[in-house]
Amino acid sequence: MTTALTSHPEPAMRRSRVNPKVLVGGLVVALPLLAVLVANLGRDPHSVRSPLIGRPAPAFSLVPVGGGAPVSLEKLSGKPVVINFWATWCVPCFEEHAALTAAARGLPDVQFLGVVYEDEEARTQEFLRQRPSAYPSLIDPEGKSAIAYGVFGVPETFFIDGSGRIVDKYVGPMTRSTIAALVGRAKEGAR
Amino acid sequence: MVPILGRILILMALLAASAGALVGFVTGVRPNASGWKWARRLAYAFAAFMVLANLTMEYALLTHDFSVSYVAHVGSRQVPTWVSIVSLWSSLEGSILFWGLVMGLYVAVATWRNADKHPEYMPYAVGVWLACGAFFSFLLAGPAQPFATVLNPVMDGPGPNPLLQNHYLMVIHPPCLYTGYVGMTIPFGLACAALLVGRLGNDFIRPLRNFLLFSWIFLTCAIVLGGWWAYEVLGWGGYWAWDPVENASFLPWLTATAALHSALLVERKGVLKGWTTLLVLATYLLTILGTFMTRSGVFNSVHSFTQSAIGPTILVFLAAALLFSLVLLALRVDSLGTEGHLETGPSRDVMFLVQNLLFVLFTFTVLLGTVFPLIVEAVRGVQMSVGRPYFDRMSVPIGVALLFVMGVGPALPWGRATAQQMRRALLPPLLSAVLLAVAGLLLGVRNAWTLLALLFGGFTAQVTLSEMFLPVRQRMRSHGEGFVEAFRQAQLRGRRRFGAYVTHTGAILAIASIAVSSTMGSSKEVQLNQGETATLGPYSLTFVNAERVTEPHRESLQARVDISKNGRSLGALYPRMNQYENQREPIGTPAVRSSLTEDLYLSIHNIDSDSVGLLVLINPMVSWIWIATAIMALGGLVALVPSTRRVAVTASPPVPAAPVAIEGSR
Repeated sequence: MTTALTSHPEPAMRRSRVNPKVLVGGLVVALPLLAVLVANLGRDPHSVRSPLIGRPAPAFSLVPVGGGAPVSLEKLSGKPVVINFWATWCVPCFEEHAALTAAARGLPDVQFLGVVYEDEEARTQEFLRQRPSAYPSLIDPEGKSAIAYGVFGVPETFFIDGSGRIVDKYVGPMTRSTIAALVGRAKEGAR
Repeated sequence: MVPILGRILILMALLAASAGALVGFVTGVRPNASGWKWARRLAYAFAAFMVLANLTMEYALLTHDFSVSYVAHVGSRQVPTWVSIVSLWSSLEGSILFWGLVMGLYVAVATWRNADKHPEYMPYAVGVWLACGAFFSFLLAGPAQPFATVLNPVMDGPGPNPLLQNHYLMVIHPPCLYTGYVGMTIPFGLACAALLVGRLGNDFIRPLRNFLLFSWIFLTCAIVLGGWWAYEVLGWGGYWAWDPVENASFLPWLTATAALHSALLVERKGVLKGWTTLLVLATYLLTILGTFMTRSGVFNSVHSFTQSAIGPTILVFLAAALLFSLVLLALRVDSLGTEGHLETGPSRDVMFLVQNLLFVLFTFTVLLGTVFPLIVEAVRGVQMSVGRPYFDRMSVPIGVALLFVMGVGPALPWGRATAQQMRRALLPPLLSAVLLAVAGLLLGVRNAWTLLALLFGGFTAQVTLSEMFLPVRQRMRSHGEGFVEAFRQAQLRGRRRFGAYVTHTGAILAIASIAVSSTMGSSKEVQLNQGETATLGPYSLTFVNAERVTEPHRESLQARVDISKNGRSLGALYPRMNQYENQREPIGTPAVRSSLTEDLYLSIHNIDSDSVGLLVLINPMVSWIWIATAIMALGGLVALVPSTRRVAVTASPPVPAAPVAIEGSR
């Protein structure tokens, strides 16, 4: 055993011939695994499938921030609606605010709505004064609408088609392209 | 200023690692002293830059420098100092930075310890380590940059994930996990070096085994600490959920455990060299797979990091490392050769093989269960989860079989056993086996698998303890020494063997207590108004009141629940619901009353000032899982000691040297 320490076999003795069993066996395990991982890379775990998808959107009638006539979902029917649950204390909401505002300006045939989630009206008003929004944000007293929509964190955004059915739900901050894609589906109508 | 300094340090680390990898490989192909010296210098430089980058980040976290993007992301002025310190590993970019720190330290130590040994292998090993180091530096320089400059820094940040602020275990668990996880890089580099050289000598298997064992000890502790944390913090009453992220840490543990055993056969018999190398390579690849799982956002999990852009980068690295390993293995596995041969009849040799195959089977089972939802979603477009039933159904038989092999293996002699040897080895332990199973039956165990686990547990425990003290008994008989002296002498000569059996004792205890705790518990959900009492088993619980507790970073509603068992008061438990600053969801902290026999576990579902909804569980023997893990880790440490002090265990001639060396060091 100890002789192995001193006597080095000549490097020339190393014969590098591929062991086909090892190579094929390894590839049989490795390639499908890699393929599955690659196939799932584009997958977005944020698009959680809510049980509400395909169902009629829960009705609400809520007063906008700063007062005014209540906005109710029924009166908007015929038009795709995007409902974004947000709050001033939520950093990702802040990030997506600009994208949502821009999308709302670019898509006049879609009604965008914000629903303020667990926040004070004064702080919301201040937030919206600094960063004007292109659509109304509604006050949701006691979070009843949030509960009806099964919101478990902000931001969460619901896409509703012209017939008032929820087409998709997105969890987390959105970019303009995600908004455009999901609005497209809301315009097509429910699957 | 700080962000720029941090970015420079990362770039320097990247530079040192890339150059060092190159120098290492070139020196491996054309050995020369100055190349080796430069490879070493660059390895130390990589480590130094990583240490400095981490110190810079800690400085930024402690001074609340919100111009550093990572600090803006996880820092907060409202959290206690210890939370600021541990925020380093609370989110994606910081955790990769911390990974770099651990890796730098490992590479430095492994290089330093082998600076004048294994000249054939070491340049390649350093080359492989630094190539891995270069990849992680690249992640930090680009896709997962922690030191990006924030142009308009905020006044205060959100603070780290509140779950991580909830318990002191979050201070220990991640560093422990990284020490285990990242440490697997070192055996990986050594195994690659052996393949590149085309030889795995008996002298070289030792550093490989030592680093593997060292990392294994930490990984073992980390896995169980994670379970403990889940148990004490998450409030669903269990410690293991087969969550993808838990599996991510368990998979390399399985292959590492198998490799530790097969390395013994390499050392002892000169067989299974290719197989052991394969296991070591697989262990590292599984840690990278785990890193991908926790950081790509592909897997949904309670504690995966937020979705990020580094998924594809890690996947490319995983694919490259996988293909590199495969081709290397296929090219060189035959040149590693075999010196001895393996017995085929009933023998310890064969039980080693069976054990190895069981561990590999376990690995595939867990891997399949983890990726199966992805396969289904890719093929059929349906979201699904395999969930606990699959894992429980598969892992229980494998675990019980491992328990069996752990008993029969050490009982049998090396080489083919005769019928008489078999009888002598296998019959006596049946006594403990039957005793433990009957004791279980009398205590009310009815689950067949649990009874089987107790039966094999008793058998294995007797074999393990008798093997553990066999050298002591032999010395007492042959040298006429007293127990203490014989124990000490046996320790000096066979500490590794002793440590291995201590670890086995821990493993038996762990499997038995997992079996009991998962089948013998009871639970109940209750809604109590103030003053009301509920009962579960021998316990009665009275909701006394709810109290508001205000701390700087959180506000909690704490329920006082008075506990009595069989009418005897046991004091009060205080499960609570915490509301963190800057966080919306309240997070519960369960209250656990632990004893050696069972835990009483209270977790709040809902609470207001005069009513509380509680989940009440009685979990038997859970404490023993933690104790068993400590024993396993201790055994590992014991086994590590003699080899680090170089006490000759297997070499026979220089006997006088060993006691002198030990006395000198005492």
